[in-house]
Amino acid sequence: MTAMTETRTATGGRLPGAVAAEWTKAWTVRSTYWNLFGAAVLMGLACLQLAIYTLNANGNDDPSDDKGVVAVGTIAIGAVDLVQFVLIGLAMLLITGEYSTGAIRATLQWIPRRGEMLAAKTAVAGVIGGAAGTVLAAAGSLAALPLLGRWGGFEFGPWLGDVLAVGAYLALISVFTVSAGALLRSAVGTLIVIFLVVLVVPASLQASGITAFQRVADFMPAVAGAAFMRGESDTYPPVLGLLILAAWAAAALLAGHAALRRRDA
Amino acid sequence: MITLTGLTKRYGGTTAVADLSLTIEPGLVTGFLGPNGAGKSTTMRMILGLDEPTAGTALVSGRRYARFRHPLREAGALLDARAVHPGRGGRNHLLAMARSNGIPRRRVEEVLGMVGLSDVAGKRAGTYSLGMGQRLGIAGALLGDPPVLMFDEPVNGLDPDGVRWVRELMRSLAAEGRTVFVSSHLMSEMERTADRLVVIGKGRLIADAPVTEILAGSSRRRIRVRGPHPESLRELAAHLAGRGVTADEVSPGELLLSGTTVESAGEAAHRLGVLLHELSPLEATLEQAYMELTAGSTEFTASTGEAR
Repeated sequence: MTAMTETRTATGGRLPGAVAAEWTKAWTVRSTYWNLFGAAVLMGLACLQLAIYTLNANGNDDPSDDKGVVAVGTIAIGAVDLVQFVLIGLAMLLITGEYSTGAIRATLQWIPRRGEMLAAKTAVAGVIGGAAGTVLAAAGSLAALPLLGRWGGFEFGPWLGDVLAVGAYLALISVFTVSAGALLRSAVGTLIVIFLVVLVVPASLQASGITAFQRVADFMPAVAGAAFMRGESDTYPPVLGLLILAAWAAAALLAGHAALRRRDA
Repeated sequence: MITLTGLTKRYGGTTAVADLSLTIEPGLVTGFLGPNGAGKSTTMRMILGLDEPTAGTALVSGRRYARFRHPLREAGALLDARAVHPGRGGRNHLLAMARSNGIPRRRVEEVLGMVGLSDVAGKRAGTYSLGMGQRLGIAGALLGDPPVLMFDEPVNGLDPDGVRWVRELMRSLAAEGRTVFVSSHLMSEMERTADRLVVIGKGRLIADAPVTEILAGSSRRRIRVRGPHPESLRELAAHLAGRGVTADEVSPGELLLSGTTVESAGEAAHRLGVLLHELSPLEATLEQAYMELTAGSTEFTASTGEAR
């Protein structure tokens, strides 16, 4: 075949090749687009809802719930509680979609070094989650601004900080999700674990009324992430919230990698 | 070239592949035969680094597959045609594959043309028929233009034209000097396609020889004898049986002999004055040779109490 000499001159492969392949794969299935569309709709609705809550709280007869002028960035941060699950779904499908169809064996044939495959998948998921989070937070908060009227606060610097914090949070949550998917393989298992870790366990601990449990909840990834995004926490400075979240993502990545290396495809 | 050295794979207590050592040479089509569960797919997966051997090594052109910078340019494989995301189009599947190994985009169109999928490459792979999926898998194996190719049951689901196309493709790939390693359970297909056969059973090597040698080694090279007088044929049978020849009367007037030659059977008939209408050697088929080789090593033997 004449192509033999030609293809041999091409460069690429290894990690850059793996990232390019995973990027191509992410944008050549419909689920990615549907998830992004769903996340956009949900972000818009959640931001409008939170803006209306703010108007109601400030406009009613009860002065104790007044929020005063609200920075619009915090509206988007509030909406993340809901929107994150759609983007978690997007990240999860990048890996569990391959396990459920058997396509993971093809992927590992192209990229046989497990570490490179997982690194490429988490990088792509992190970039998509981070970019989508940033763009959606910006759009959602700006959409809430006219509705809030005189109660809406907008200063470019803090707003940009809020929006980028949402992006960073969703990037790390996406990395955590893909790593959990590598560890667990099944979509249902991954989703259950993510729900438990992100939502159920911290909520139960916080509702326990026991201080020690509540302190443990502060170190769960979504709680730490929220502390980082809101810039407030009783127990630690906000930047530590980011580090705690990053530590969860890194731990999941190491566990996923260890499982992938040990396991036959 | 593929080199297996003491390749072994155990799952818990069961041994899927046991101490397999062999070399699969370039320039030949090497058929890989064995009953279901004999360890063919496991062996192929170990060659590609998908499964980790319990012991031993599997090398592609002298190196472990996972060590190559561009593995798809060293070995192409069709293992499981369904191992494709059903929501992704054939072209995009190959495009992602090409990007992973720095293969130029135009090569995707080339292989799509080679397997005849250019017209449907935009459709989602989940809508493909079994045969189209098989062609997509073959396109993927050819994508990196590799010197080593492996195909696990490549003609599954193909129509007769497709089967012939695969056969000619295998032959031409080998003629270009590539290593072609093909597993199949279709003996007639292997008889026409393969130069050499590797037969395994229960994970162990049973035979590794040229097809002609395996055919010649079959103990079932038999001779058919027909005549108009069943009685005198029975005399001949008794006479030959006294000389250690196995003679079965398959129907009145027809014998099947084994353990003798056409010449000595003809001479015996002449001496006894038995009139013959036919005295012909039956060529052993690969299927017979294979059944003899693997007898006793089938994983899932149907119980055939009456038939035996």
